[in-house]
Amino acid sequence: MSVERRLVRELRRTLDDAGLRGSLLVRDLRSGDELGIDPDLEFPIASLVKVPLAMATLDRVRRGELDGSTQILVQPGGITTPGPTGLGRFRHPARVAVDDLLYLSTAVSDGTAADALFELTPPAEVAAALDGFGLRGIRVRHTIRELNETVAERLGPADTHLAHSLAIGAGTAGRGHRIPQLDVTRANSGSARAFVELLQALWTPSEIDPGVAERVRGLMADNLLRQRLAPDFSSDASKWSSKTGTLLNLRHEIGVVEHADGQAFGVAVLTESRVPAFHQPGAEALMAQVARTLRDELRQR
Amino acid sequence: MDVLGAWKAFVNVSERGSFTQGAAATRVPQSVASRRIAALEQHLGEQLFDRSSRRAMLTQFGRDMLPSAKRLVRLAEAMEHEAERARLNPLRLAVPGICAVRDLARLDAEAREKGIHLDFHTAGPAERAELARNREVRAALTAVPPGDGSWSVPLGLAGATRSPGDTVYVETLRLGRAARSSRRSRIWIQPEDDVPHIRDPLFRIRDATGLQPAQVAVSATLTAATAEVLGSADLLLCSYRQAGELELHWRRIGEIDLVRGFDVSAAVGDDARRLRTRLRTEIARCLGADDRDGTAP
Repeated sequence: MSVERRLVRELRRTLDDAGLRGSLLVRDLRSGDELGIDPDLEFPIASLVKVPLAMATLDRVRRGELDGSTQILVQPGGITTPGPTGLGRFRHPARVAVDDLLYLSTAVSDGTAADALFELTPPAEVAAALDGFGLRGIRVRHTIRELNETVAERLGPADTHLAHSLAIGAGTAGRGHRIPQLDVTRANSGSARAFVELLQALWTPSEIDPGVAERVRGLMADNLLRQRLAPDFSSDASKWSSKTGTLLNLRHEIGVVEHADGQAFGVAVLTESRVPAFHQPGAEALMAQVARTLRDELRQR
Repeated sequence: MDVLGAWKAFVNVSERGSFTQGAAATRVPQSVASRRIAALEQHLGEQLFDRSSRRAMLTQFGRDMLPSAKRLVRLAEAMEHEAERARLNPLRLAVPGICAVRDLARLDAEAREKGIHLDFHTAGPAERAELARNREVRAALTAVPPGDGSWSVPLGLAGATRSPGDTVYVETLRLGRAARSSRRSRIWIQPEDDVPHIRDPLFRIRDATGLQPAQVAVSATLTAATAEVLGSADLLLCSYRQAGELELHWRRIGEIDLVRGFDVSAAVGDDARRLRTRLRTEIARCLGADDRDGTAP
């Protein structure tokens, strides 16, 4: 136990040196063994909300309330600040089927596609669906568009670091924040533990319909954003399925690494940075390093 | 009318009983002494000396005026003495801790030749401004943005080992993705540079180039920072002159020009002006501002 505590303390210091504070949890999905750093600390979850959105949407398709082949007319996003992908960058309207919106939203983290899905299943319904699955730690309160209307979009690209300084400095007691999207009491929010519970429910038998869980796992396996935790978890002998979330100084990723021998680990890394810069590859590499160290410790037990 | 001179002549003549000797004691010709006393008599409308006598005899009016005249002359002499002492009073000057002892001693010696007696008080940038504001010192060499100052000192990064080239880029301190386990080199900011116009731009460059926050840090003392640099690949933010004193190898910073600015802040404007103009080059030497402007050999 003391070896473990020393390891956690060391990792916490490593994160602090890099200007990061985080909620981390790694769990062996078969045995339930877990190891983490502040796993119950709540964060605004940014694009991680697209996983519950996919779960709720696919469950409605299963129940026949929606048809995956229905084509939806999507207006172009027209966003020019760094971040948004896919339809968010489109210049012209496009017709996209619900199934394909799910792919864009989950695997490409396309916010415009996610909002098209939120039109069909509003945040309150997604929250109710999570409740139905027995997953209670994740709050879904608003769409992606509301998420993106932050100070960064108002200030423009040259002043991104000012938006970040504001994000870092404007926190209030009790994890509140002057910027609503960063206030855990107003934004979509959750802790590392809540997301590992969600991963456990998707990868092992649960209240979630097996067919729905399989589709969501597939979408996460197709995740295109692999710069954060993927380099440290993916290999030819293992499969990394995940979803990232990024907003101002928040950098998250949740995922499952499945090994050839059948072992599977759920990993949730939610962080906030006190470094006012948009591009922080060092921080991303460090998140992966810390998550890997925790996983390695857990695996060799 | 020189009232004080006239009363001095009056006192001296009355004490010696002779215009000739009294004028000599006042260090003026006898004609001048006589004229002054006559002017005084005309001003007062009464005779001070009895002109009927051959000797300089006081009239009753003159005898009545003598004690207060003596008091006035003594007071004038005391004031002159005070003025002399005040001129020799040292000008207490708050200086940065980065000034070398020898440079300060030379500044002191050269200032004395110009009639300014200096008394140094070493302090950090915030404290110096505070001392000047509270008038605990007569003047302070305060840290200001370079555009606002009388002296400017370009800063660079100095390391223990000689490296090729005359420029160092902060970004080169960022570790590559594959080198995560080796030690990260740091940049140390000495207390003198812990001011917004130097520290904050460097922090911004640190964040923008993807360094870890801990890789640019403010050190508690210059000695501690130098010790870190001597034992590693760390770099010290300092002037070219400081690097020479510490026997470190100095290079310019590639991404930004960081410059220390200094100005004199004094309660009395004349103190500031005298230091700025009459001791300009001597102070520049102490601050390291007389070096080449950050260009490498």
